[in-house]
Amino acid sequence: MSDTLTKITTAQTRSDRSPNVLILLAIAVALAGFAVPWMGFSRSFLSLLTSACATALLATGVGFLVRQAGLTSFGHAAYFGGSAYLVVLLSVHTGMPGEAIVILAPIVATVAAFGIAFVMLRTEGVAFSMLSLAVAQALYELMMRWRDIANGEDGLAMQLPRELFGTTLSVFQRPGSMFLISWTILVVVIILLTLLSRSNFGTLTIAIKNNEERARFIGYRTLIPRALVIAISGAIAALGGTLFALYNGYVTPGILHWSLSGEAIIIAIIGGTRSLWGPAVGAFVFVILRDVAGDYTTHWQSIVGLVLITVVLLLPEGLSGLISRSLERIWRKTV
Amino acid sequence: MTGTIMLEATGLTRHFGGFCALNNVNLSVRKGEIRGLIGSNGAGKSTCMDVLTGRGRNLQGKIVLDGHDISKLSERERRRAGMARSFQKTNIFPELKIREQVMLAARMAETDNTDEILSELSLDTIADQPGSEVSYGDQRRVDLALALVGKPKVLLLDEPAAGLTIEESLTMARHLKSLSDRHSLTVLIVEHDMEVIFSVCDNLTVLHLGEVLTEGQPEAVRSDPEVVRAYLGSTFA
Amino acid sequence: MGMLIQVLNGLVYGGLLYVVSVGLVLIFGLRRVVNFAHGGFYMLGAYVGFAAGGIFGFWGGLLAAVAALAVIGIALDIVVFRPLQDQDHMVTVLVTFGILLIFEDLIHMVWGPDTISVATPEFLAGVIQIGDTFFPVYRLTVIAVAIAVGLGLTLWLRGSRAGLFVRASSVDPLTTAMQGVDTEKLSMTVVALGTGLAGLSGVIASPLLALSPSMGSTILIESFIVVVIGGLGSFAGAFVAALLIGQVHNLGIVYLPNISSMLPLLLMVAVLIWKPTGFSKGTH
Repeated sequence: MSDTLTKITTAQTRSDRSPNVLILLAIAVALAGFAVPWMGFSRSFLSLLTSACATALLATGVGFLVRQAGLTSFGHAAYFGGSAYLVVLLSVHTGMPGEAIVILAPIVATVAAFGIAFVMLRTEGVAFSMLSLAVAQALYELMMRWRDIANGEDGLAMQLPRELFGTTLSVFQRPGSMFLISWTILVVVIILLTLLSRSNFGTLTIAIKNNEERARFIGYRTLIPRALVIAISGAIAALGGTLFALYNGYVTPGILHWSLSGEAIIIAIIGGTRSLWGPAVGAFVFVILRDVAGDYTTHWQSIVGLVLITVVLLLPEGLSGLISRSLERIWRKTV
Repeated sequence: MTGTIMLEATGLTRHFGGFCALNNVNLSVRKGEIRGLIGSNGAGKSTCMDVLTGRGRNLQGKIVLDGHDISKLSERERRRAGMARSFQKTNIFPELKIREQVMLAARMAETDNTDEILSELSLDTIADQPGSEVSYGDQRRVDLALALVGKPKVLLLDEPAAGLTIEESLTMARHLKSLSDRHSLTVLIVEHDMEVIFSVCDNLTVLHLGEVLTEGQPEAVRSDPEVVRAYLGSTFA
Repeated sequence: MGMLIQVLNGLVYGGLLYVVSVGLVLIFGLRRVVNFAHGGFYMLGAYVGFAAGGIFGFWGGLLAAVAALAVIGIALDIVVFRPLQDQDHMVTVLVTFGILLIFEDLIHMVWGPDTISVATPEFLAGVIQIGDTFFPVYRLTVIAVAIAVGLGLTLWLRGSRAGLFVRASSVDPLTTAMQGVDTEKLSMTVVALGTGLAGLSGVIASPLLALSPSMGSTILIESFIVVVIGGLGSFAGAFVAALLIGQVHNLGIVYLPNISSMLPLLLMVAVLIWKPTGFSKGTH
C-alpha cells in the first residue's frame, strides 16, 4: 500500500501512547455537547448542528468502512437516504406504529447492506467503489421514477402520529431536543465502535484488510467478517438517515444521489479515517463552514474540491490526525 | 526413522496452461521429522508447497494429514486440520502489533502458546510494535511465529531464510532446530540455503523439473551423482 | 421501420458513449486510474466548443475544444498522474474527484446554471430518407464519428509502435517500462488523447443533448458502466459495451420508461456479479 493511502486508512495503533489526554478531551467534548442547547446559539445555528449530527453519522459509517475494511464506498447515500425514505414511505403507506417504523427502517437497511455485501465483495479497490456507486444510483433512479409510491423529484412528507416513544413527535422536530437525541446517538455509536475495534472482531477485520490471504491461512473465514463490517457501516449511516427523516419530516431523492455519497467520503477523509471519531469532526466542520461560506461565496464546491485535494496530498491523516498529534506534543511538553 | 506418518501426499500435480509444473509427486513425512525439499530453480518446490496447502487452482493429488484426507479442504480448513505454513515473501499484518497478530493466529489453533513462541523467536522485546515498523529479519520471524503458534501438526516453511543475512539464517536455523526438538514438530522446509538445510533436516527430497529425483539422508543425497548433475553450476557441493 | 429508427438511435447514443468512454479506457490502461474528472472534461469540451463555435464557426469550435482538452490532459498527467503514480490508485481517483467538483463549479460560474441548447451545424442539418421514414443527418454523422474513432484507434493500437506499447502497458506496465520505452512521454500523449476525445465527444454531443452543468455527472456514470462492463482497460470491450448500453438506454426509454434509467446500472451490477473483470479477458 502506498504511504499516503496507508496514512488515510491505517487504524490508529498509537492511541495507547497518550490515552489520557485524548480520552479526557473526548469526554469533555461529549459532555459539552449535552450542554449545547443552553449555550445561547441562535435557533438556526442549533438546527444546523442538529442536521450535522445526522451527517456525522453518515460520515462515520463511511469512514468506518475505510478504516476497518480498506474499502471506499461511493454509495452510502443508499443506506442513509434509503432508511430515511423507508421511514417516510412506511409512515405514509402503512398503518404501522411510529415506534416500529423508526426501529424497523435502519434494521432493514442494515440487513440489505449485509446481503448486498456478498455481491459487492466480489470486487475490490476502485471496482468496489464503482459498484457501490452503481447500486446506490439504481436506488436513486428507482425512487425518482416510482412516482406512485415516492412522488419522484418532489419528494414526500412523513406522516407519523403525534406520539412517539411516549413523547410528542415535536420533540424530534425541535432543534434543542432533537440535538440532544442525535448527539446521544452519535456519542453512543462512537463509543460502541471504539469497543468493537478493540475486540477480537476488530483485530480480525484489520488483519483481513491488511492481508486477506494470510488471514485465511491462519484459519479464519474472511468473507463474513468483511460483510459484517459493511453491514455495520451501513447501519450507522442508516441511523443518520432515520434521524434525518424524523427531524425534517420530508425526503427528496437528493438524499439518495451519489453526490451525497461523494460528500460523505470527502467529509470522512477531511476529518480523517484513522480514528473512529475523525469523520464526525469532519462533518461538523464541513456543515458549519458550508453555512458560513454561503454568506461570502457561491463557490463552495470548488473550495471543497481544493480542500479534498489538499488533504489527500498533504494531510492524509485529516483533521483528527492533526488534533491527535498536536495533543501528543502538548502532553509531552507538560509531562 | 520410525514413527507414524504425519503427512502423506500422493500424485501431486499442477499444470499452468500447457506447462506441467509438478508431475505426480509423492511425499511421505513422519511425525517429528524435518524434511527438506530442495531443487534448482523451476524444480517445482514452491508449486509443491502451494498444492499441499491448497493455494491456487488446478491442484491435483491426494493429501492425508494425520490420517485425515484434506485434499478437498480450503486453506482455511487445512489450517484448522493442523497444517500451517509460512511464506517466501513476507506475509504478515502491518497494522497489527506483533503480539496481537500472533495471538490472532493462536486463537484459531489448538492452544494459546503465544508468549512461549514470542520468547523462543526473540520477538518478546518488540511484541508491542506494529508489523510495519520492525526490521525485515524480525518480520520473517513473525511470519514464522504466525505459522508455529498453536502447535500445528505439520509445519510447511517456504524459504524461511529468504532475504536474511548469513548470521540471521543460522540463528533462524538454530531456532527451528531447538523448537522442533522440544515440541517434536513435523516440518517440511523448502529452502535454497544449503547451510540451513544441512543444519536442520533429517531427510531430503530432491525435486527436478517437477518430479522427485531422489530422497534420502542429507549426506547421501549430497554425494549422489545424479543430484550433482542436476545441480550443475549451483553452490551445492 | 420504427424498430430500425430505434436501433439507429441506440447506435447514436452508443456511439457517443463509446467516444467518451474510450478516453477513460486509454487513461486507465496507462495510468491505472479511473478518472472521475472525465465527465468534467466532456462537459468542458462541450462548453468550449459552444463558446468558440460562436466566434469561429463549428470547425473552429471543435478544434478549440479538442486542443484545449488535450492541453489539459498533458497538464493532468504531469501535475497529477505522474507524481502520484507510485501511490495507491485510490489517492489519484480522489484527486480527480476533487478536480471534477472544481470543474463543475467553474463551468457553473462562467456559463450559469441554465440549460443551453446548441443548434446542429448547418451543413449537417437536414434529414435523410431511410425506407419510408426520415432520419437526421447529424445523428448518422455521430455514428460515423464513433466508427472513425474506433477504426482509427484500432489501426493505431495494432499498427504503430506507440500503439503496441500502449497495449503492452495496458496488460503489464512494469515490464513495458523495463523495455526502455519512454513510458512517461507515452503516458502523457495517451492521456492527452483520452482527454481530447472527451472534449470531442462533448462537442458532438451538444446538438443532441444540450449543455447543462450536470451533463458531466450524467455521462460519467454511464461511461463508468461502459468501461466496467467492457472490462477495465479493454478497448474492444468498451466498444461492445457502449453499443449495448446505447441500445439498452434507448429501447428502455421507449418500452420500459419507468425503469430505463436503472437498466444500465443493473446491467453493470449483473456483470460485476457474474464476472468481476467485466466482459474482457482482462487480468484485472
